[in-house]
Amino acid sequence: MSSTATARSFRAARKQSSLGLIVEGFREIWSRRRLTGYLVRADLHKHGADTLLGNVWWLLDPLLQMAVYVILVSVIFQIKKDDYPLFIFCAILPWKWFATAVNDGITSVTSRERIIKQVKFPKIVLPVSATLGGIVNFAFGLIPLFALMLLFYQPRISATILFIPLIAAVQFVFSLAISIIVAGINVFFRDIANVARHALRLWFYLSPALYEFSDVAGKGHGAFGVLLSLNPWTPLFESYRAVIYNGQQPYWGSLAVLLLGSFVLLAGATLFFKRVEPSFAKVL
Amino acid sequence: MENTLAAPQPPYAIDAVALGVRYNLRLTRQTTVRSSFRNLLKRAEGPTDFWALRDVTFRVVHGESLAVIGPNGAGKSTLLQVLAGIIQPNEGEVEVVGQVSSLLTLGAGFDQDLSGRDNIRLAGAFLGISHREMEALLPGIVEFADIGEFIDASIKTYSSGMRARLGFAIATAVDPDVLIIDEVLATGDAVFREKSKERIIRLTKAAKGIVLVTHDMNWVTEFCNRAMLLDHGHVVLEGDPAEVVRLHQERSEQSRIEREAELARKLAGAKSTQPTATG
Repeated sequence: MSSTATARSFRAARKQSSLGLIVEGFREIWSRRRLTGYLVRADLHKHGADTLLGNVWWLLDPLLQMAVYVILVSVIFQIKKDDYPLFIFCAILPWKWFATAVNDGITSVTSRERIIKQVKFPKIVLPVSATLGGIVNFAFGLIPLFALMLLFYQPRISATILFIPLIAAVQFVFSLAISIIVAGINVFFRDIANVARHALRLWFYLSPALYEFSDVAGKGHGAFGVLLSLNPWTPLFESYRAVIYNGQQPYWGSLAVLLLGSFVLLAGATLFFKRVEPSFAKVL
Repeated sequence: MENTLAAPQPPYAIDAVALGVRYNLRLTRQTTVRSSFRNLLKRAEGPTDFWALRDVTFRVVHGESLAVIGPNGAGKSTLLQVLAGIIQPNEGEVEVVGQVSSLLTLGAGFDQDLSGRDNIRLAGAFLGISHREMEALLPGIVEFADIGEFIDASIKTYSSGMRARLGFAIATAVDPDVLIIDEVLATGDAVFREKSKERIIRLTKAAKGIVLVTHDMNWVTEFCNRAMLLDHGHVVLEGDPAEVVRLHQERSEQSRIEREAELARKLAGAKSTQPTATG
């Protein structure tokens, strides 16, 4: 145990260097991994126990969402794309994880208001566990995905699906950074959840989820095309689709750039969080 | 736990020098973007800062049990939060030697959906106690809390007394060097009150520093070596418990009389203007 038998002093106006704060944040995430584990478990327990069908919803939810988009795009708009249900499923699955990470991240600190006012602990574990909790959800979503492929799209099955965890790892770093930032902001501005709901929906439509990057890029969309190539979700969606739907290699280059950028963003997010953390107990 | 410090332990458990905690009223309870813009526009109006504590200096030596008393809003809870390291002081300095246990309001950190047993583990993880140590403490906590087979049921099903018992058992089981407690002595039934009294006395005797906030003046005079009266964030008097309690009671009585006089004046005023007033 780390804090035993040492003099702890809390001084006024103790300013730490930015780098020191980032290192401290990362160290806290690692040293409190058991707390994170408990929080994730508690969260999963809640999701499973509250509803009638429990964890079955984790399987049904992406399938139902897929059905909605298939009806919208294939039936109403009459856009033809081969095996569109699988095409869209490749996007729904990772996006659900991301949206959950952001939404749970927003409330992760404020919902633990009472314990924050009573126990000194590194608050950064809260958004971290919110992001990690989504992994289980994502993993469960792979079950209907594989079922779908085995039943209807056998020719598309390829060994490249083994790259899914690598793409998910990049997504995780990116989601974690966003989750930490929104968790910190929500302490001071409680209406960020309302903003996030719409921002996430817009982001989904502005990303190559329902369509392909090549459907839009270089076809006179100008600014939108540029926005699309800067969108972190472009390499993610395109890579997921490459390995699941097309049986191709992911876009390694773009993923590497995104991973690097995500780590920089994560460092910035940690710094921001550590800077505002001391005032949590007072503001909440 | 082994003490690996090379330097000798200082003779005190807590050393607080000129503590000051300031709240920014503009930041506090600022729930939406809109209200914060409104506050920005009204910048010039009203006080923006509020000192919850100011110039608070005291020491708790080993084996001492300090009671903090005072009217509501005196800054008692803020002081405990500073000692627990939850809030950083804006002024001054505080040093706390050793491991601190600070479940300030017992059982408040519980997760409603988890069982009692899982909540003990979760609380341990929040407090930063290692898994092995917590597993070793678990049977003792379960036994002390005395909630029978409910320990494996979700906390939702617990009565408030059971919750308080579990919280008290966790907070005091970790064998802290410094124990910080907020208004917990009145929880539970008479039997449990006796048990918790015993445990606190034992902890005090084991050369631990204790700071507690309570409204139970009998407890203060009977079991605390020292008392401190806070009002409006300042120390009014610190010293012998009986003396401090006497002053506190005089002051409460005084303010009660003043309040009643104020109320009587208001009532009288309302009566005299009755014909014109509508409600």
